[in-house]
Amino acid sequence: MKDKIFGVLQRVGRSFMLPIAILPVAGLLLGIGSSFTNEATLEMYGLTAVLGKGTFLHALLLIMNAVGSVIFDNLPILFAVGVAIGMAKKEKEVAALSAVIAYFVMNIATNAMLKLNGEILDTGEVAAHVLEGTIASSCGILTLQMGVFGGVIVGLGVAALHNRFYKIQLPNALSFFGGTRFVPIISTLVYMFVGILMYFIWPVVQNAIGALGGLVTGSGYVGTLIFGLIKRALIPFGLHHVFYMPFWHTALGGTMDVAGQTVAGGQNIFFAQLADAANVAHFSSDATRFFSGEFIFMIFGLPGAALAMYHCAKPEKKKAAGGLLLSASLACMATGITEPIEFSFLFVAPILFVVQVILAGSAYMIAHMLDIAVGLTFSGGFIDLLLFGILQGNEKTSWMLILPVGIVYFFLYYFIFRYLIRKLDLKTPGREDEDVELKLYTKADVQEQKGRKADAQKDAVSEAIVRGLGGKSNIADIDCCATRLRCTVKDKTRIDGKVLKSTGASGVLHKGDGVQIIYGPNVTVIKSNLEEYMSKSALTDTVRISSPVKGIAQKLSAVPDEAFAEGMMGDGVFVLPQEEIIYAPEDGSVAFVFDTKHAIGFVTDLGVELLIHVGIDTVKLQGKGFEVFVKAGDKVKKGEQLMRVDLDYVKKHAPSVATPIVCTKIGENQQVILLKEGLVEVGQPLFEIAEKGRKI
Amino acid sequence: MKSFRYTITDEIGIHARPAGLLVKEAGKYESSIRIKSGEKSVEATGLMAVMSLGVRGGQTIEIVVEGSDEEKAAAGMKQFLEQNL
Repeated sequence: MKDKIFGVLQRVGRSFMLPIAILPVAGLLLGIGSSFTNEATLEMYGLTAVLGKGTFLHALLLIMNAVGSVIFDNLPILFAVGVAIGMAKKEKEVAALSAVIAYFVMNIATNAMLKLNGEILDTGEVAAHVLEGTIASSCGILTLQMGVFGGVIVGLGVAALHNRFYKIQLPNALSFFGGTRFVPIISTLVYMFVGILMYFIWPVVQNAIGALGGLVTGSGYVGTLIFGLIKRALIPFGLHHVFYMPFWHTALGGTMDVAGQTVAGGQNIFFAQLADAANVAHFSSDATRFFSGEFIFMIFGLPGAALAMYHCAKPEKKKAAGGLLLSASLACMATGITEPIEFSFLFVAPILFVVQVILAGSAYMIAHMLDIAVGLTFSGGFIDLLLFGILQGNEKTSWMLILPVGIVYFFLYYFIFRYLIRKLDLKTPGREDEDVELKLYTKADVQEQKGRKADAQKDAVSEAIVRGLGGKSNIADIDCCATRLRCTVKDKTRIDGKVLKSTGASGVLHKGDGVQIIYGPNVTVIKSNLEEYMSKSALTDTVRISSPVKGIAQKLSAVPDEAFAEGMMGDGVFVLPQEEIIYAPEDGSVAFVFDTKHAIGFVTDLGVELLIHVGIDTVKLQGKGFEVFVKAGDKVKKGEQLMRVDLDYVKKHAPSVATPIVCTKIGENQQVILLKEGLVEVGQPLFEIAEKGRKI
Repeated sequence: MKSFRYTITDEIGIHARPAGLLVKEAGKYESSIRIKSGEKSVEATGLMAVMSLGVRGGQTIEIVVEGSDEEKAAAGMKQFLEQNL
């Protein structure tokens, strides 16, 4: 059970990667765009002439800002689609379409409920009594602000519906709506009710958050800590804006007299003081306590976490994980956009997010206690640190204290993350199990099977279709319309109309390389089954075997021994060894060792039976010249030593050292393809066992 | 079911090549053919299995044939063994 949850979480996490990959770029655009279009900033540094309104660069920055914003503003629907694609097993495009539909349906249902109950007025405006920020526009629909969480609800739910129903068969009269076409339909109905339900559930969540706000204001440093913890914890729900905005811009964040005027809200106070900088000795850290701490964990801490994840990635996946983590770190450090990093571990390893919340939350408090008062426009990246910290001078902002604290944070993040990832084997980017997806599929598939017979029957139909079309290798493309399976084949002479007819078709039409098999409206189900069958058989179809010895590889037919050359012992290849040690070609076990030590039977973990026969007629050497390190039944890993052969001795006393490596059991429709003719190293792919008819 | 015993006369026993021939011969018949050697008993149509018996010259094996053409199969196998092993 635990494994199952874990596996599902891992898939959820992986499905997040698609939309997350865009965030660093969006973050940079938004961060740079918004920092350099801020009028206060421009005036401060006398950049109005270059970047002020009306200049070309200003227009460009505004567009960058808008492009970045549109991605962040629409994160919910991006996640809805991304998660649906990631979690759907087959026919992913249908799940994507359904997710878009479900997202609209859910929000409009909530919107209708809000209208019915007067929270949204007939004029289309939000009623005055509604707490600010709780109702917002999403894709043009005024709805409850559910943030990314809303998108995830849609993505997961639609994927579940999709996996359950994409092969549904409906009664004949309705069968046009069966199969994948049913998924958008059921998604619409279900999410109408989800939307209605959200109207009742979500405000409870929102109110709880609002109540927390009161807690913060009351209590000094502890209040800052609570603020930090809550703000960071709200990120995945997209509700942090609802939460922190009042502290930044209303009296909830304190009031202060600056230059003779009463200013309310942390960020407002800072910018008022900035404008009046000549008369301020040190900016107020009571005002900046709602954001100054962000520099510590955004510039230093989270990149430390990213480095830890990179170091924990599997060697073969380091490159890919590194790309994602590096760009995410850059976005975070430069602009203070943390989502790319946070989302990379949040869903796959929630425990790490707990760590992040605690560390980041306490950073706000530490900054407050150290009287650090660096302001920001948008978030705690280097751009803002430069503008509102470094350029303002250490006397007024104490920005230099961020450096030592930040360095400590970097190491804290790095070591805690590394320890937890290794200890709990968390599946952060680059640590996913290669075969988990596969295993999950089979497990889930097994559970889905109401009876194995039904499945076998489906496969029998698919198998017959493939056979009728001349084998998998002959099929170029499969598609379907309302009633027909439309296939394109490479060689039309291999089509067997009778076999196709026997699969329940009411007719078969040929036209050039095209074949149309007419089934009726349930064709979408047949097509889904067929595609599944074909991808399934692809997995077991081709198996690669690596070379057990360094030498010259050639086709088996050239071996100087008739029995082997004719394939009597099976299909395979042979190698003229250049080194004395024979290694295990793959993971597997030793089936037997001849008493005369010149041949070893080997069964790979994938079930391929191999005979490794060292030298020709070497049975007559009676074991001389051979030293075997394994015995029957031994389990060995690829690359372990199996035996040593005295090449000089064998060359002198036997016709040849040619070493056939043959598959003793091979299917009628299978063949061995030599992958490397000529010099081959130990462990290099030597041959593969593939379906007949494939190009060699 | 038919069975008979045979003592291997070829002094090197059932090594790779004769095993290949034996498997080929056994594959000609419909009946299931098993080879017993000491404690072990394997399908005569599996090359790997036959080789794993490690039968040496002088050892006695038992061939057990069962199926629709068992008469023919037993005779064929006997002839094969006498000629090759």
